[in-house]
Amino acid sequence: MMTHEEASELIGAFALHAVEPSEVEQMEQHLEQCPRCRAELDSHREVAAAIGNSVEPLPEGLWTSIANRLPERKDADRPPMPKLRLKHLGGAAPNSASRRRRRPDRRPRPAGSRLAAVGALAVAAAAAAAVLGINLVRTDDQVARLQRAMGTAGPTAVEAALNAPGHHMVSLEGAGHKRLAKFVLVPDGRGYLVTSALPGLPNSRTYQLWAIVGGQPISIGLLGQSPYQSTFTLDGHPAPTKLAITVEPAGGSVVPTSPLVASGTV
Amino acid sequence: MGQFWKHPNAKAAPNGTWMQEIGQVSDAQLVTSIARYSEVALAEVYRRHGGAVYGLARRVLHNAAEAEDITQEIFLRLWNQPDRFDPGRGSLRAFLLAQSHARAVDAVRSLNSRRLREAKDAQRTASADYDMQHEVWDLALADQVARALGVLPEEERQVIEMAYFGGHTYVDVASLLDQPEGTVKSRIRNGLRRMRAVLVESGIQGVDA
Repeated sequence: MMTHEEASELIGAFALHAVEPSEVEQMEQHLEQCPRCRAELDSHREVAAAIGNSVEPLPEGLWTSIANRLPERKDADRPPMPKLRLKHLGGAAPNSASRRRRRPDRRPRPAGSRLAAVGALAVAAAAAAAVLGINLVRTDDQVARLQRAMGTAGPTAVEAALNAPGHHMVSLEGAGHKRLAKFVLVPDGRGYLVTSALPGLPNSRTYQLWAIVGGQPISIGLLGQSPYQSTFTLDGHPAPTKLAITVEPAGGSVVPTSPLVASGTV
Repeated sequence: MGQFWKHPNAKAAPNGTWMQEIGQVSDAQLVTSIARYSEVALAEVYRRHGGAVYGLARRVLHNAAEAEDITQEIFLRLWNQPDRFDPGRGSLRAFLLAQSHARAVDAVRSLNSRRLREAKDAQRTASADYDMQHEVWDLALADQVARALGVLPEEERQVIEMAYFGGHTYVDVASLLDQPEGTVKSRIRNGLRRMRAVLVESGIQGVDA
């Protein structure tokens, strides 16, 4: 077993991959149990990266080679996009996003635990949303839960929104100016899907709703394969200039990965 | 219908205006997205760090084709094992460069050991290694490296260069320079610490863009 002193002497060379092969394993064993050496190694690696940090023009076609070698994923293998935190629209739900620092589990989780399984991506999405000032509410298959949280039934909430003073409608149109979805936004930031003519999608796909804020698409949530109800909030934050819908893999995407199927100016 | 960002064709070269949006996402967030099989996120990491990963491998190997292979391998590994990156332990750039360097050094050593076997002439091989080491400094890159390393005393700079860019172990470096191994070890470590101090002083902490 390597002593701490021996490991310390070697740590610089180890960071440069310049120890003898016979010493590598012993160093790794020591590092596993020595936070001080780990910290020093991390520090040396940053310096090494600075020394080795010259950006060369990337050869043409290299990215294509990488992309073509990515293993095909069946959609069933694709972990679900963590559901965005269910926000209690009427109350003061604590913002717990920043405390949820769990790394995502790569395996799909049972549907029942999805809401609880808010992983780092949701944290990332929430962080991005916080930066851009949008609170997000999950939709579709969690509508029932959302409605419980709101204490209202879907159609009633939509009706109430349609009757609320200062509400306005956003029509999302697709190719040929075909109206594909209509949302109502109320001044407190809530928005509801009123009607949808979006065609049904296969199980492997979902519609995803995006708010465009300052030219950036921000995910509002997944609308499912066959949107019929959806609720979100943009409360008290910079209003989006547009709403847009894309078709994404069933778990949803962090950024749009397909052309818009519908969009409309707010 | 308004098209206000470009369609990100995930198989295309990762450039284009849509990247301006994803360009605001942190490295750690991108890796989290990669864990959820976002090719777009991988493309963005490649756009940010691919040049450095490739550049370092190429500098150590002096071989563009092998450097391309290593770059591919590093990004495929990131795709398959994104959880190996721990943002708590440093920047993504340092993480990727450490892997690129380790692979490049492995390749150089296996090449060297093949030469060793073929040549059956330790002396000739040692001088071949040494020549290869010196080739590094014929490249235009030498200036850049020299500037980065210029803060170090000559004896520290030399051992770090030989280990890092030449792919030599400290034992090899000691042998090539005819110095005690312990001296080489401590020069490497002290040199890295000194550079760290200088980098921190000049406000360059980590190597993130």
